[in-house]
Amino acid sequence: MPLVENVRSKLRQAQHTIGEFIYGATTFEWVDGIHKERGEVERLFALITFGDILGIPILPPYYTLRLLPFVVPAMDRWKRSLLRERDMTDLAELFEGIH
Amino acid sequence: MNALVILIIAAVGVYLGYGLYAKKIDKDIIQPSPDKATPATMYMDGVDFTPASKNVLFGYQFKSIAALGPIGGPIVAAQYGWLPGLLWIIFGTFFIGWVQDYASIIVPMRSEGDTFGALSYKLISPRARGILLVFIYLYLLLIMGAFGQVIGINFLSNPGVPVGVLAVILMGLLAGQMTYKMKQDILLTTAITVVVAFIGIWVGTLSGVTGFFEGFNASLGANTKYFWALIFAVICYLGAVLPIWRWAQPTNYVSFWIIALGMAGGVIGMIIWTFQGGATFGDFPAFTGWSVAGLGPLWPILFVTIACGAVSGWHSLVSSSGTARQIEKEVDALPIGGGAMWMEMILAVIALLTATAATGGWDAYLEAYAGGKFGVFAVGLANFLSHIGIPTAFGIPYGMVFLTIMGLTICYLVVRFMRVASAELLGDAIPALKNMHVGAIVALVLSLIVIWTGVWQTIWVLFGGANQMMASLALLIITVWLMSQGKKYGWTFWPFVFMYITTIAALVYTAFWKALPAVLAGTKVTGNIIAVVVAVILILCALVLGYDGVLAINRYRKGEVAPTAE
Repeated sequence: MPLVENVRSKLRQAQHTIGEFIYGATTFEWVDGIHKERGEVERLFALITFGDILGIPILPPYYTLRLLPFVVPAMDRWKRSLLRERDMTDLAELFEGIH
Repeated sequence: MNALVILIIAAVGVYLGYGLYAKKIDKDIIQPSPDKATPATMYMDGVDFTPASKNVLFGYQFKSIAALGPIGGPIVAAQYGWLPGLLWIIFGTFFIGWVQDYASIIVPMRSEGDTFGALSYKLISPRARGILLVFIYLYLLLIMGAFGQVIGINFLSNPGVPVGVLAVILMGLLAGQMTYKMKQDILLTTAITVVVAFIGIWVGTLSGVTGFFEGFNASLGANTKYFWALIFAVICYLGAVLPIWRWAQPTNYVSFWIIALGMAGGVIGMIIWTFQGGATFGDFPAFTGWSVAGLGPLWPILFVTIACGAVSGWHSLVSSSGTARQIEKEVDALPIGGGAMWMEMILAVIALLTATAATGGWDAYLEAYAGGKFGVFAVGLANFLSHIGIPTAFGIPYGMVFLTIMGLTICYLVVRFMRVASAELLGDAIPALKNMHVGAIVALVLSLIVIWTGVWQTIWVLFGGANQMMASLALLIITVWLMSQGKKYGWTFWPFVFMYITTIAALVYTAFWKALPAVLAGTKVTGNIIAVVVAVILILCALVLGYDGVLAINRYRKGEVAPTAE
């Protein structure tokens, strides 16, 4: 029985691997795109509510303080993401499948 | 010698190259650690940095790098016989291809997710980044020229193709609508759209439909090539300006299944045919000579004719800006970057076999090539598919639709990128370029000029040259980075030297031995002038880059900059 169980386990693993490969080659791009869109919206939201942290003058609304506890954990990543220097090669990932 | 034996030789190459050489480099020089944090985990922001699992990224990386390039290059290079192309595909991947793809993930991953633009600025020189952008823009223009001629002039004008292409595009639009608007299950969406797309391809081959298009093309006469190239441009325009979820992404998705099923069927057909005693090279020569009329001498032209499938500079850009920012663990870099390149090598070998062993001999190859370049692949694929019961009358148009949609999915993105690039680079000086429609139209007008006036084989060689020059730049950046880290660098330095010298030689040959004499002889003057100008720009950029590269290498060799151990 251990042999049978071993074979079953290997088959399950192979099925999982093939499934993930097909997902990566097909709909991963869609899911990733939706995640990115959400990330962009969140980044923009943080900018219009907490932009003064980066030196962008905004009117300090009352709700900013209410939101602060939720934003603090993501603050470092948000600042890094927003201030990171970008160039045209950042867009190259759009080009899946060029070759 | 038959196709299966060649495939087994390629598999042995994968075992030796990936299983021994690549793993040794990974273990002894790069020394990845499963416990070390990667940029994807450190800087996860949901936009640029997002970790993903190894198998998913492997699928994503493979799809990202494998498209028309590894299929087109071997078809053209088969003019030298099947052996030179086969050897370059295997040894090119062995010593250079995987090295570049793998290290293009490692270097940005250990440099906080910097892309090659930023790395070239830091490690080589500030102007290296500008040169990279010149390569990219010219490369994109040449892609449009090379693929546009094949799709617009050769394939879409084939009476059996337009309805099939239209069916795939419409099903792509439906897939987008069903997924994003109607929130339907992806399996249901896939089943409906792929089946209907196949029915559409079949309808396109019916005699009534082909007869209509034959009559239509006959009425256009000499204007046929202009009309279908314009249709190609209109499709690309829509793909470039409509939201990516509406057009490019879902048509890409439906196309994936059309292509994957075709490739799977082709491989099964090839194996069955081999056991029936077929799929042999027959009278297809292993080697036709050191020089081929129309292409040029084996060295350096072969090494730029087959770019993807052996070495491709574009992979370094995709890997550094995309995959390197999604790797969850350092140890995943080799199976993803190296593994996907080896798998692409197998795809290139299958393409070479489809263009050689499956076409029915040397004369059949020459006839199919003269009729439509990549059409050779369609003929070979149809012959393979005929051994699993699919009639050749359907197989050939299916192969052409397969290649057309493969090329179109690339061209949407190329035009999209070109319009963004022109807005970024020239938008302040010419504000109209910031308008997406203007940017896309400018890109398409430039592309149409190249498509209508260019000499296809010259465009293809220049396309490979721009690509391989990007590979040189990537290998140079990787070499300097290895020096900066105090690591062994011979495994990237010598590939850089080879690619650099070979590519410059190919560009010089194409500009001054082919295109310029053609201009002086009054043959296709506009297209050849464009070829000379593009080649000269690429050569000048390469020389400046080589000079800056030598300076950067010397900085580390002479100890002016101390290596930074990790």
